[in-house]
Amino acid sequence: MVKKYMKINGHIDQIERIGRFIQEAAKEAGFDEMESYACELAVSEACENIILHGYGDDSTGEIEVSVQTEPDKLTIELWDDAPPFDPANSPIKFDPSIDDPPIGGLGLVIMHKVMDEMEYHRREGRNQLRMRRSRKPPA
Amino acid sequence: MEINVQGYKRVTIVTVTGRVDSVTYSEFENALQAELEQGKVNIALDFSGVEFISSAGLRVLVNARKTVKNAGGRIVIAQPSQQVSETLEIAGLEVLFEQFPDRETAIAAF
Repeated sequence: MVKKYMKINGHIDQIERIGRFIQEAAKEAGFDEMESYACELAVSEACENIILHGYGDDSTGEIEVSVQTEPDKLTIELWDDAPPFDPANSPIKFDPSIDDPPIGGLGLVIMHKVMDEMEYHRREGRNQLRMRRSRKPPA
Repeated sequence: MEINVQGYKRVTIVTVTGRVDSVTYSEFENALQAELEQGKVNIALDFSGVEFISSAGLRVLVNARKTVKNAGGRIVIAQPSQQVSETLEIAGLEVLFEQFPDRETAIAAF
């Protein structure tokens, strides 16, 4: 098991760094290119929600990320100091079968679709989001 | 991100390369908006060079689709990169955007 850690300032131009960090870890866990991409995408969406909706105009916020790599398994934790928000249990208002879908909440749709498990806790005044994904057998 | 626009008789090709995310989406949105304001409502997006597209980019696509559709036009995707196809599928939006394997077949579709 390998655990890595990084911290970014809560600015949207920092999301790319976290994305690369996650993608590398996913590859180390044995995920293929597109599964690694999907993990990068889901975590980027989570960070975007924290920065744009959680921190908003507060430019002093930070996001801490840890990623635990095991063979065929990735566990990612995000910590932030924004007001409480639980993406793991937020209702997903999205129906792709309709022709003109409402586009709010697309980030949540992506996070839930990519991750096998999402778990939220409010601890010591901070948001903690844990996401897990196991490698899928090739289609 | 780089954007290149080429006008043809019946269709406008918008070629995007790089990342379409919360940092760059407005540039993409403005480029599309400029075409729509000129009445160019048939658009093929060459996405072969898109390395990453997030929900911010998808929102631009869905909004543009709505605008061109209301104006009697359509928006399709030519040569989606694997990342674009993957993102559309994850978000459940692949059914909304016709996809073509190359620019020529996309142009011929108009």
